[in-house]
Amino acid sequence: MFQDESSSVTSSSPLQVFSMMSLSPNLGSPYPWLRELKSEERGLYLIHLLLNCANHVANGSLENANIALEQISQLASPDGDTMQRMATYFTEALADRILKAWPGLHKALNSTRITLVSEEILVRKLFFELFPFLKVAFVLTNQAVIEAMEGEKMVHIIDLNAANPAQWVALIQALSARPEGPPHLRITGIHQRKEVLDQMAHRLTEEAEKLNLPFQFNPVVSKLENLDVEKLRVKTGEALAISSVLQLHSFLASDDEHHRKKMPLGSKNLNGVHLQIALQMNQSTLGELLGKDTVNGYSPSPDSASSSPLSSSGLAKVDSFLNALWGLSPKLMVVTEQDSDHNGSTLMGRLLESLYSYAALFDCSESTASRTSLERFKVEKMLFGEEIKNIIACEGAERKERHEKLEKWIQKLNLAGFGNIPLSYYGMLHARRLLQGYNCDGYKMKEENGGCIVICWQDRPLFSVSAWSCRK
Amino acid sequence: MAAASSSAAFFGTSEENQNQMIKQQQSSTTPPSSSTAPQTKKKRNQPGTPNPDVEVIALSPKSLMATNRFICEVCNKGFQREQNLQLHRRGHNLPWKLKQKTTKEVKKKVYLCPEPTCVHHEPARALGDLTGIKKHYSRKHGEKKWKCEKCSKRYAVQSDWKAHSKTCGTREYRCDCGTLFSRRDSFITHRAFCDALAQETARHPTNDLTAMGSHHLFGGNHHQMSLGLSQLQAHNQPSSNMLRLGSGGAAKFEHLIGSPSNPSSLHNMPGSMFFMADAANQGFHQDHQSPHGNGPYMNKALHGLLQLPYLQGNTNNSGANSTNLFNLGFFPNNGGSSSMSAGESGGSSAVNLLNSGFLSGNQFNMGDQVGSGLSSLYSTTTSMQHESISPNMSATALLQKAAQMGSTTSNHTSSLLRGLGSSSSSGMKPERQVLAANFGGNFGGGGSSRGGGGGGGETLRSQMENDDNNLQGLMNSLATANSSIFGAGHGQDQSNFVGGFAGSGGTQVEHHGNNNFSNVNEGNKLHQNLAGSIGGTDKLTLDFLGVGEMVRNIGGAGSQHGINIGSLNPEMKSSAQATSTQQFGSGKLV
Repeated sequence: MFQDESSSVTSSSPLQVFSMMSLSPNLGSPYPWLRELKSEERGLYLIHLLLNCANHVANGSLENANIALEQISQLASPDGDTMQRMATYFTEALADRILKAWPGLHKALNSTRITLVSEEILVRKLFFELFPFLKVAFVLTNQAVIEAMEGEKMVHIIDLNAANPAQWVALIQALSARPEGPPHLRITGIHQRKEVLDQMAHRLTEEAEKLNLPFQFNPVVSKLENLDVEKLRVKTGEALAISSVLQLHSFLASDDEHHRKKMPLGSKNLNGVHLQIALQMNQSTLGELLGKDTVNGYSPSPDSASSSPLSSSGLAKVDSFLNALWGLSPKLMVVTEQDSDHNGSTLMGRLLESLYSYAALFDCSESTASRTSLERFKVEKMLFGEEIKNIIACEGAERKERHEKLEKWIQKLNLAGFGNIPLSYYGMLHARRLLQGYNCDGYKMKEENGGCIVICWQDRPLFSVSAWSCRK
Repeated sequence: MAAASSSAAFFGTSEENQNQMIKQQQSSTTPPSSSTAPQTKKKRNQPGTPNPDVEVIALSPKSLMATNRFICEVCNKGFQREQNLQLHRRGHNLPWKLKQKTTKEVKKKVYLCPEPTCVHHEPARALGDLTGIKKHYSRKHGEKKWKCEKCSKRYAVQSDWKAHSKTCGTREYRCDCGTLFSRRDSFITHRAFCDALAQETARHPTNDLTAMGSHHLFGGNHHQMSLGLSQLQAHNQPSSNMLRLGSGGAAKFEHLIGSPSNPSSLHNMPGSMFFMADAANQGFHQDHQSPHGNGPYMNKALHGLLQLPYLQGNTNNSGANSTNLFNLGFFPNNGGSSSMSAGESGGSSAVNLLNSGFLSGNQFNMGDQVGSGLSSLYSTTTSMQHESISPNMSATALLQKAAQMGSTTSNHTSSLLRGLGSSSSSGMKPERQVLAANFGGNFGGGGSSRGGGGGGGETLRSQMENDDNNLQGLMNSLATANSSIFGAGHGQDQSNFVGGFAGSGGTQVEHHGNNNFSNVNEGNKLHQNLAGSIGGTDKLTLDFLGVGEMVRNIGGAGSQHGINIGSLNPEMKSSAQATSTQQFGSGKLV
C-alpha cells in the first residue's frame, strides 16, 4: 500500500524525486493526535509538513498541498511558539503562491489590502526598536560617515530609504559636536511617500535647529527603482556619503527577467540539473536537505550568476544602479543588507534558506517580546510575514526580497568600481557594546572579509554591513 | 541536545531580556554617536565656519524682556533699536549719530541666555542674534501672557500669538483620537503613530480574552481532573463513574446509568462514547489505573488487534518489571495527580514526572477543539507541567534537530516522523526509555494482574501471542494501515517507531485496547470497566478517525483504506457487541 503511495509520488523529474525523499509517508491527518504533540514534536512535525507542502507546491500537486496546508493549520498559530508562528507565515506564503495561479482569485482576495503609511512606519519603527540590527547598522554607518567626513565643511548624505530619522538625528548630534566645528549638512532623503519625507524633514530640521547646525533636507519623492540619480543635485565641492539600508537587493528583481530572456529554456530545467547534481552527491535525506552544505551546494542560482558581466551581455539593473551611484563619486557608501541567500531560483532552495533565517529572526523576537505582545505580532506579520510571502510566493520582477550573502555584494560592488574600506574600529566597539546591552547570548557580531560586519543570531548570519569608497 | 539545553537557558531568562530590552530601547534612541566624538570643545552654533573671536554678551533678564529698551529722554518713547532712537532724537533736535557700517572690524556678537539651567547659558551654545535670544528667553523662561481667545492656547511672544490667532480655527486638523492640531506638520507626525496606537488599544482586550480563555480552559481541566480523582477514590460505587460521565457533558449517556451492571449496556458505552464530549477525556487517564490495578482479563480480539503491533516494539525496549512500574506511574500522572500515582505504583516520582510530561499534552489538547486557542492552552500546560523536562525549543534548534535527524535516519526508509519520534526522545534520553516503557507497562499492568500481580510486559506479551492467533489477520490489516500512514518499514526498528508515535497515536490505541479488554470481560468491576471503556473508546474512536482521515488524505489509497476499515469492523463485531461496532463505524465516519 505504501509502496503504491510512494510510487505515485515518484516520477521522472528530479524535483519530484527530491520531494519524495523528503516526503515521509506519514502524511498524517489525525487531527486529534496532532494536537497532542509537545512543542518540540510539533515543531519538528511542522517543519516536515512545511517541506512536504512546499514540495507539493513546487510540483504543482495542489490537492496534496492543500492537505498539507490543512494539517499545518491545525498546528500553526500566529501567537504560539516560534515554530508555530513561523509556520503560520510560511503556509500563508505557500498558499499565496498557489493562489497566484489564479490571478483573478488572487486579485479579488487581495483587493482590499491597503497598506497604511502609518502602519508601515510603525512596523519599521518597531523593528528598529525591538531588534538591534538596525541600530547596529546605524551606529556603524554613522561612525563611518563621521570618520570619512572629518574636516569636510560641506557634507551631503543620500539616504536611499529615508524612513527612519533616528539615524540622522544621531548624526546631526555627532556632527554638531565635531571638534573642528559642525559642517554644513545636507541630507537627501529618498522615499516614495511624501508624508514620510515630510515627517523626516520636520524631525531633522528641528534637531538641527536646536543644535544650530546648518542643515538642509532635500526630499526626493520616488521609488528607488525609478530614481533618477541625476536629480539628486550633488554639488561639486561637497563630500558625498550614501547610506543604503536594506535597499539594494530589490534591484536584483529585474535580473531575473533579464536572465529569462536570455535563457529560453527556462530556469526550471536548469534547476533540475542543479538538483540532480545535488542528489547524486548526497542521498537527499532530510538532513542534507536542511543541512547547510547541500543548500549551499545547489544554491548558486542562475540569476544571481547572471549579474556578473561574464554571463550577461547587457547590464543588469543592479549593476547600472551601482554604476550610477559610483558616478556620483561618493566619498563613502555604507551598505546594509540581509545576509541570507533568499534569491535562489528554486522554490525549495529559497524555502530552506528562509526557514533558517526566519527561524533565527523569530527566535530573536521570542527572546525579546512576550508571546502576547502586539508589537511582536505586528513585526512578525507585517514585516517578516510579508517578506516570507514575497520570497516564497513571488517570482520575477514581483519578487523584491532577494537577499543575498555578503560575498555576492562584495562581488557586485567591486565590479561597479567600489573599493571595500574597513569599518571603523571605534564603530565596531560601539556596536558590540550595543549588542551586549541586549544581555542575551544570541546576538553576535562577526568581522568578515577584513572590515565588513555580519550580525548574527547564534551562528546564523542575518545582516551584513560594509563600507565602500569610489575606487578611481 | 546542546542546542536544546542552551535554548532552554535562553528562554528561561527571556523575561529579563525583555526588561533589558526596554531599557535598551530607551537608551538606544538617544543616539550612540553623540558620545562618539569627544565633547571637549563645543563651538557655538553659528552658520558657516566657526569664528573663534566673537563677543559674548550676557544680557539681564530685564533687558531681554524689555520691549523697548532705547528710551527717548525727552518724550519717554521707547524703541527696540538704537538706530530708531537716534532717528527719533533727530525730531527733537537732539544730537544724533547713526552708526556707520564698519563691516569688517565689527566683532560678531553672540548672546547668552541668563537662565542658568538653560543650555544657551553656556557661552559655547550662545545664540547668534538679539531677537533670537529675546524670543528664546520669553518662550522658554518667560510668562505666557498672550492667550488665544478661541483655543485658550497661551504664548509668551506676542508675534507667536499673533501668528497663531490668524490661523486658529481656520485650519484645524482633528485626529480620530480626538486631539486637535492647528499645525499640519504636527498633525501628520501625530497621525503616523496614533492610528497604530488606537488599533493597539482596541486589540488588547481581545488579547486578554484569549489569554483568559486558555487559562480558563486549563482551570477547567484541572477541576475535572480532581473530580475524576475523587471519583476514583470512591470507585466502589458503580454509579459514581457514570455520574461523572454525565457531568462531563455527555448527557446522552445518562440512560446508561440505570443499568450499569448489564454487560450489553456496558458495551454500548464504548460506541456511544465516540461522541462523548471532550470533558470525558479528562477522566480517562485516571480511570485507567483501576483496570490496571485490578487485573483485567484479556479480550482476545480487541487486545490482539490493537496491541500486538506495538507490543513488539515494547518488548524490545525494556524489562518487564521496570515497564510495569513506569506504566503505573504513567496513567495517574496524566490525570494530573502525580503524588497519588506515585503512591499507588510505588514508582519513583521522577519517572512519573517524565510520564506526565509525555502525555499531559494529550489530555489538555483533547479537550480543546478550538484551533487558535489550542496553542496558548498548550503552552500554558506545558510550561506548568513539565517546565524542567521539555524546554521550548527555539525554531533554530528545531531546524538543526530536524536536519540531524534526517541524516541519522537516512539509512532506513526515512520517514521524517519516525525520525521525529526517535530524535524527540533522543533529545531527552530518559524520556525515550519511559516512552517505550509505557507501552510495555500497559501490558504489564494487564498481565501482572492476571498472573496474580507479579508479571510484567513479557508475560503479557506471551499471553497475547498464545491467545490471539485469530486476531493476527486483523492486526495485520491494521498494521498495514498504520504503515501506510506512518511510513514504511516499521517492522525493522519498531521501538523507535513506536516511541516516535507515543505522542501521536500509538499510545492511544494501545491503552484503549487495554481498557476495552477489561471492559468486556470484567463483569465485577463494572463501574471501573465502564469508565475505562469510555476513556478507551473515546480515544480509540479518535484515533481511528484519524486513521480514516489520514488514509483518505493520502489520496489514491482510498480503496485500500476502505479495506482496512472493513477488516477492522468485522473483528470489532466479534470481539465486542454489535452495538459498539456500529457505533464505532459511525464514529469513524464522523
